[in-house]
Amino acid sequence: MAYIEVDGLTKDFIVKEKRQKGKLLREKKTVHALRGVSFAVGRGELVGYIGPNGAGKSTTVKILSGILVPDGGEVLVGGLVPWKERREHVKHIGVVFGQRSQLWWDVPIVDSYSLLKDIYRIPEGDYEARLKELTQALDLEPLLRTPLRLLSLGQRMRAELCGSLLHRPELLFLDEPTIGLDAVSKLSLREFLKWENKEYGTTVMLTTHDMEDIEALCSRVMVLGHGQKLFDGRLPDLLARFDTVRNVRVKYAAALPDLHLPDDVGWSRTEDGFELSYRLSALPTAKLLSLLEEAGEISELTLQPENTDRLIAAMYKELDL
Amino acid sequence: MNTLKLYFKSIGMLLRSHLQYPESFIMQTLAQLVMEGGELMVVILIVDRFQSLKGWSGGNLYFFFGMMSVSFYLTELFGRGITGDFPMMVRTGRLDTFLVRPRGVLTQVLCAGTDPRRITCIAVGTAALIMGSTLSGISWNLLKVIALAESIVMSCLLILGLFMIEAVFSIFSVKSVELVNAITYGGRSACQYPVDVYPLPLRALFTVIAPFALTLHVPASWILDRPLYGWPSWTAFVTPLSGAAVFAVMAAVFRLAMRHYRSTGS
Repeated sequence: MAYIEVDGLTKDFIVKEKRQKGKLLREKKTVHALRGVSFAVGRGELVGYIGPNGAGKSTTVKILSGILVPDGGEVLVGGLVPWKERREHVKHIGVVFGQRSQLWWDVPIVDSYSLLKDIYRIPEGDYEARLKELTQALDLEPLLRTPLRLLSLGQRMRAELCGSLLHRPELLFLDEPTIGLDAVSKLSLREFLKWENKEYGTTVMLTTHDMEDIEALCSRVMVLGHGQKLFDGRLPDLLARFDTVRNVRVKYAAALPDLHLPDDVGWSRTEDGFELSYRLSALPTAKLLSLLEEAGEISELTLQPENTDRLIAAMYKELDL
Repeated sequence: MNTLKLYFKSIGMLLRSHLQYPESFIMQTLAQLVMEGGELMVVILIVDRFQSLKGWSGGNLYFFFGMMSVSFYLTELFGRGITGDFPMMVRTGRLDTFLVRPRGVLTQVLCAGTDPRRITCIAVGTAALIMGSTLSGISWNLLKVIALAESIVMSCLLILGLFMIEAVFSIFSVKSVELVNAITYGGRSACQYPVDVYPLPLRALFTVIAPFALTLHVPASWILDRPLYGWPSWTAFVTPLSGAAVFAVMAAVFRLAMRHYRSTGS
């Protein structure tokens, strides 16, 4: 049996709308946040959970972490039903909410950690060892005596991560962990997550809007939209399913040859070469390359990396999300 | 035991965070002193004008005032999480962070708030207690000390329980809490005077719904050797337990409200 088992999860919210003129009672509207989502996650997996705002990502995470009770469906995490055995369940999980802090604002972060030690009943020896390890890995040592409110956004996220991992959770939920971080902070955060996952086999489930997070970290990605699971698999497979425009830049050693390309390939001349854009469905990359080679001696060729953000945007559009 | 340790450690930490802003802390603490000192002045003026109220002497009135003041502000000092900060915790989603920790929600709420500025209010209350005790010529013995301590603890539980009504309302995202304020802050103002000065409907309110009469007035009047309604001595020790009862009921209601919160995710 997989570590996380989710079967047919449903959750509706009743939203009260603004009172309209001349009506005494506010109209109620039911929003289907989740309409039967199922998946399984094995121990030690790094899973990215993506989807546009309002797709049901946070709702899923809240149910899996025991905050919310679903309307239907079954969930088992490590053999426990999160909302029924909340206290036992949350001993084994760590949660980092992107926008709200779990630490105390005005006191040095090490004091917050010491309180978390008592909350989770971590034995003193374990706590010392784990704190040392995490502060080294996250480069927090010089900041331990600094109050949270004086930390930069990147430092704060590292501090939050440390706090959520002190009790050695088997499962870590990250809700948009890299939101608002600069490039260096993002990179070091991703490195750390990989390390933690490898070192301890911590299962990580992360929701994000940042496709680089997924590319860098996740072996598996799930796409959620309108409360349903739309895709579950490897990122390259997801990208391959969506036919988007790709770009190639080519330079020739000698004079520019005439290109004989299919009509649906767009091209423009640059100083010493061409810029081409094409669709995979119209022309496989290998075919295009051989056409370019036939035309003359190539001095330089650049295949532009796929812009994942654009792909995802195209995908959301195609799926009408 | 572990929970108590956690509570005091949390409160200690919050105290240190309040002291991060010493100027603001001192100013606000002084403001509290002026406020509660003013409340006491009102009682002093009434005593000066009327000498006694329905047979209660000035000293008796100071004693009642002191007991209410000490109980109320001790509650605000140690139970700020419920008496003040809770609606904010719901709005900002802090409540969610409590739910992902292996502790009771109510425990964590109580661990998350303290209002040390109230120490000056408690000082005023204590001064009123001493003044009232001296003027009334109370002859203290062990039983009376026990009755006093029990009464204050039970009143604190009662006040906490009453503020939990407001907490429950805020979970159901009901904003108008005037009704609740009427029995919390209103109860404090009204019940700093012995309940038998009031007409029957108010007496019923403060005996049955918000039983300050039982947690405060019955033991206090017994300590003053003037038992309320002439009730026997044992009532001074038994009726205050209603404070614990109110707290227990509200703790149960709070649990139900949390169940609602977790199914609606408001």
